[in-house]
Amino acid sequence: MDEKEKVYNNWTPTETVILERRSVRKYSEKQVPEYLVRRIIEAGRFAPSAGNSQPWKFLVIRDHDMLQEMEKDVVTRCKIFNAMLNWRKGGITGKLAWLNAQFMIRFLPNELHPIPFSAIDLMANKQFMLFHGAPTVIYILMDKRGVGKPLVDVGICGQNMVLAAHSLGLGTCWVGFVELLKYGTKWKKKLGVEYPYQIVESIALGYPVGKPDGMIERETHQIDWFENGEKRVLY
Amino acid sequence: MSYIRLRDRLRIPTYDNVKYVTTGTVTFDHEKCNGCGMCVKICPGRALLLKGEGKGKKAYMLDDEITPCLSCNCCAAICSKDAVLSRVYFDFNYYYKVIHRGEFNAPRKFI
Repeated sequence: MDEKEKVYNNWTPTETVILERRSVRKYSEKQVPEYLVRRIIEAGRFAPSAGNSQPWKFLVIRDHDMLQEMEKDVVTRCKIFNAMLNWRKGGITGKLAWLNAQFMIRFLPNELHPIPFSAIDLMANKQFMLFHGAPTVIYILMDKRGVGKPLVDVGICGQNMVLAAHSLGLGTCWVGFVELLKYGTKWKKKLGVEYPYQIVESIALGYPVGKPDGMIERETHQIDWFENGEKRVLY
Repeated sequence: MSYIRLRDRLRIPTYDNVKYVTTGTVTFDHEKCNGCGMCVKICPGRALLLKGEGKGKKAYMLDDEITPCLSCNCCAAICSKDAVLSRVYFDFNYYYKVIHRGEFNAPRKFI
């Protein structure tokens, strides 16, 4: 068997974790042992970053009451946003919300993309749990003074941790809604988030219920391939 | 020629108008579905629900014209009976138009 065939016949262990990893949105109550959480953060610590600036700080939250309170506060904030932006309620407030949404969406096209827009509504109506019942949550804070594009570095660091977690048989889900906790001083004080740090993302961590991991189908993306003075389009 | 014309870039589609939205679609094989409800519990868009009683209990998509399916296929991954699959991606018109995508495929190997 030549090298090419060997590659063709097998997924490497790393590829298997990457391809089978799915977001876990239902966790068992069983707490993750501390040594596994520490080990996952080690994977984050060794992520590449621009100029080796490592523009991150980790918070580990395993306090049930604290997680519940965060969830409650994010729901409250979603309710406020929903009142200002959801025009489907009709009436004069609905019309005002429509105008506001049309205005705001031009400044925040990513945050107010139709998908999170609907998610705000789900969250405000408690149809959706923030951490999906995960017993451990890892926050990644970004050091705003990082080299180049610190947001990208934070993403790379988080992906390292997520893949390490799945290779250890755990489940994870990226939770970006925690960004809403940056409004007001309550959580900044409680969590000690102040300049130069900023809450960017959090990763819910726990043992999944059922078997959520597995390979699935996804759409392909166009690849423009430049070689030997020619351009090919691949999918 | 640009990928999205200036006129369309300035138009922001709304999420509640069928003219602007094609939602993801999942198809169920109700012969295989045993009504365990795992897909309903984990669906990030809350686009699925259970209908029926006893042995006739099966998972379905919401009846709404616009369903909040993201086509993430998490339902397909968690289903132990291989009874569900999504092959239609969500798309919005104008500013949020999805471009440069091909067909759905499982992870591929090349030679």
